[in-house]
Amino acid sequence: MYYPAPIERLIENLSKLPGIGRKTATRLAFYLLNAKETYVADLSKSLVEIKEKIRLCSVCFNITDVDPCAICTDERRSKSTICVVEESSHMMVIESANPGMYRYHILHGVINPIEGIGPDEVRIKELRERVIREGIGEIIIATNPNIEGNTTAHYIAEMLQDLNVTITRIASGIPIGGDIVYIDPLTIKSSIDNRRDL
Amino acid sequence: MSLHKDDGIVLFKRAYGESDRIVRIFTLTSGKIGAIAKGASKSQKRFMNTLEPFNHIAVEYFEKYGKGMVRIENAHVVEANAGIEKTLRKVCTASFFTEFADRLTKEREKNTSLFYLLKEVLTRIKDVEFDYRDILYYELSMLECLGYMPNFTTCVYCGKAMANENRLYFSSERGGILCPRCSRFIPHKTYPDEVIATLAGLKNGHPRPVPAADGEENRSVAPYDVGDGVFERSAREIMEGFVSFHLDVEFKSYRVLKSVIR
Ligand SMILES: [Zn+2]
Ligand SMILES: [Zn+2]
Repeated sequence: MYYPAPIERLIENLSKLPGIGRKTATRLAFYLLNAKETYVADLSKSLVEIKEKIRLCSVCFNITDVDPCAICTDERRSKSTICVVEESSHMMVIESANPGMYRYHILHGVINPIEGIGPDEVRIKELRERVIREGIGEIIIATNPNIEGNTTAHYIAEMLQDLNVTITRIASGIPIGGDIVYIDPLTIKSSIDNRRDL
Repeated sequence: MSLHKDDGIVLFKRAYGESDRIVRIFTLTSGKIGAIAKGASKSQKRFMNTLEPFNHIAVEYFEKYGKGMVRIENAHVVEANAGIEKTLRKVCTASFFTEFADRLTKEREKNTSLFYLLKEVLTRIKDVEFDYRDILYYELSMLECLGYMPNFTTCVYCGKAMANENRLYFSSERGGILCPRCSRFIPHKTYPDEVIATLAGLKNGHPRPVPAADGEENRSVAPYDVGDGVFERSAREIMEGFVSFHLDVEFKSYRVLKSVIR
């Protein structure tokens, strides 16, 4: 059985969303059909807006609707420290743990040669330019502690080694509240290697 | 459904859904297998950081979906990839050989010598920076392991054995050298004297260089450059042509590797 063409089109478009099959898409389509006019107008406007208004900050490459973004223009944040992350979503996680402290640099990926991603495919060159331009004193590299994230961290350190900038790496170790018995040997080793004075 | 235990080298990983991970592992006794690790991206699982590329792991898996993907039950690291991340060149080289093994093998084809060769490459990369000759040497070794070795000794068309000084014509499509007579009607490229002979000798006569304790290498191989990078440029052209025309594969990691090795 076929629905009128506009409904079919909506169902088809909705079912392209991740995790949405045709059944759910049909249910959503009928929900929208019966929803208030103002809600539907609002929804379609916000859909258009994310494509029209959201872009990358020209300074930190975070997603933003104003350029430079609100974080880059926030005067209360440290002017000399940049926290380097893989994705905007990672930035949000760090920001929620340390609200208002740092400014960021979003790489939009990590070096991963098996997937054909080299250093030119992530925003490392831009980071170097920024460190020079803004006279940055410390870089905190907060890429994931896996092979790609570690490779990227080492490469960034190498690219910045001629500049007068301190480069630090987030620690890897036992999670707070964790139990040593259940921690894998690599993490245990890292936590011992990176132990600190008490 | 039965539980298998094996040694393996992780070739490839990719996130699957919210918390699962899909990997390909080259195992010692069953060759390449595709596997799913449930909850691998969540911190609670013990094997979270074992299923990372270039790791040599001991793995337990369930043969659940017939001959398709297996389900990883447990895994621990035998030799970690730590050290490979130190330089871009190391990671690119490791990626190239891992992709090489991944792309040129079929699932469930046991190849013990390839397993040990890959293991050797990955261990060695941690100790030394590979130059192009090291890459060539191991590339040829892998091709030999896989039964895809280019023919550098006899004419691939008429089978005539060729003396070193006559090895001048290489056909990418046919995967080997041509004699002067056959070269007249089979497409090929002509290379300077000694290039092909050196390439052939690299594989056969190359004593596996072992890094000394101080990191300096002891290389007692014949001078390999015909001068001015001619050998390197020609060898690269021969190998690239062979791999892309004869084997019909293109490696994603090769482009990145090339930009690093120059
Ligand atoms: Zn910004
Ligand atoms: Zn011939």
